[in-house]
Amino acid sequence: MAVGCLLTLKLFIITIVLSMPLGLVLTFLYTSKNKALNKVVAFYILIMRGTPLLLQIFFVYFGLPYTPIIGKYLTISDRFTAGAVAFILNYAAYFAEIFRGGLLSVDKGQYEAAKVLGLTDMQTRFKIVLPQMFRISLPAVSNEAIILIKDTALITAIGLSDLLKVTKTIVNKTTNISAFLVAAIFYLIMSYVLTIVFRLLEKKFAF
Amino acid sequence: MEMIKVENLKKSFGNIEVLKDISLNVDKGDVIAILGPSGSGKSTFLRSLIDLVEIDGGSIYIEGEALCENAVYPHAKEKRRILAKTGMVFQHFNLFPHKNVRDNLLLAPMLKKQGTRDELNKKAMDILEKVGLVEKINEMPKNLSGGQKQRVAIARALMCDPDILLFDEPTSALDPELTGEVLNVIRDLSKEKMTMLIVTHEIGFAREAANKVLFMDGGYVLGFGTPEEIIDSNENTRIKNFFAKMTY
Repeated sequence: MAVGCLLTLKLFIITIVLSMPLGLVLTFLYTSKNKALNKVVAFYILIMRGTPLLLQIFFVYFGLPYTPIIGKYLTISDRFTAGAVAFILNYAAYFAEIFRGGLLSVDKGQYEAAKVLGLTDMQTRFKIVLPQMFRISLPAVSNEAIILIKDTALITAIGLSDLLKVTKTIVNKTTNISAFLVAAIFYLIMSYVLTIVFRLLEKKFAF
Repeated sequence: MEMIKVENLKKSFGNIEVLKDISLNVDKGDVIAILGPSGSGKSTFLRSLIDLVEIDGGSIYIEGEALCENAVYPHAKEKRRILAKTGMVFQHFNLFPHKNVRDNLLLAPMLKKQGTRDELNKKAMDILEKVGLVEKINEMPKNLSGGQKQRVAIARALMCDPDILLFDEPTSALDPELTGEVLNVIRDLSKEKMTMLIVTHEIGFAREAANKVLFMDGGYVLGFGTPEEIIDSNENTRIKNFFAKMTY
């Protein structure tokens, strides 16, 4: 069971750590002045949010190798890596939308104040806008992280033994459902820890 | 040399012509109150002087240098250099909510490398002393009253050693009993010969603290002169009616 827990945790951490920066980059492209880039990102987000994550996991692991011509370069033979890639690509789209919402909530007076103080666009973005955007986004990011901890169970679909898969095997073997209870408690504890951590962050960065 | 020189400034938003043909010279130490009815273009005019509004026609010179010549602007870096000695204070303060008072003051001069942290810290203390808020240096903006926020905003603008300060309705968002503390700070600055343009509805303050009044209506300048000339003894019916209706 510990092995399953570790796999779940590993997938969670890798996804969070990589999908947030990727989401931020997508937000920048989405809100940049380049109309073509805006459209590309809008289309990406439409696909990622508009199709099931499970389908995306299947596609990355089973589908990509069949891509004409470049298929062999897109083959990810390691199950875990393939699953993680799908998770990261999917969650980045959600984070991009969350950050975009945060960006829209930053008062335009902040940009004006920065400008009349002689700040460059870059300084304004990184010193004034981004810190406020992150703060505004925190509750939504927290929500997304809690969804992710439970979504990790989808990785079973490409034959990996995460917490839920291991639990099910134990229940089948022992014909005793107490393993389900243990798994439930693990997910609950994870969600609870995340809730506490984000509450603390919200308090620390309150303004 | 004029601190600000504006020639035939024009500005439209879509089909609506907001500023129709504005020319103005501002001398060093001038304190100009900009008065006029809502929608007359006062704020738009003020904002155009610091490049928050891009004009469609005419020229703006700041201390002899062209911020805009015949509606053509230089590139961003050049604009920043020309506007380095210009500061602005907003109706809604626009303090950085995620930074305490000290960091609100230090942020811009630190980024522009205008001194070491120690030097700028000392300067911040001196300026806060002037606006009477030294004891608030470690407070977050949300813990300040409106009047205190606006005084911090003025202090923040002063950190960049401006020659020209623009005020866009600095007391309009304040409770009446808090306007005094902000107007006192502006009054002190006028004694130090700071050049200031103030969009305001405080006629009493304009009369007493400004040496000139600019009256705008419908995108034009209808009158420019001493407060007495504009507020008390003007022959223009439009201006006369405006002040007759004001209860002050």
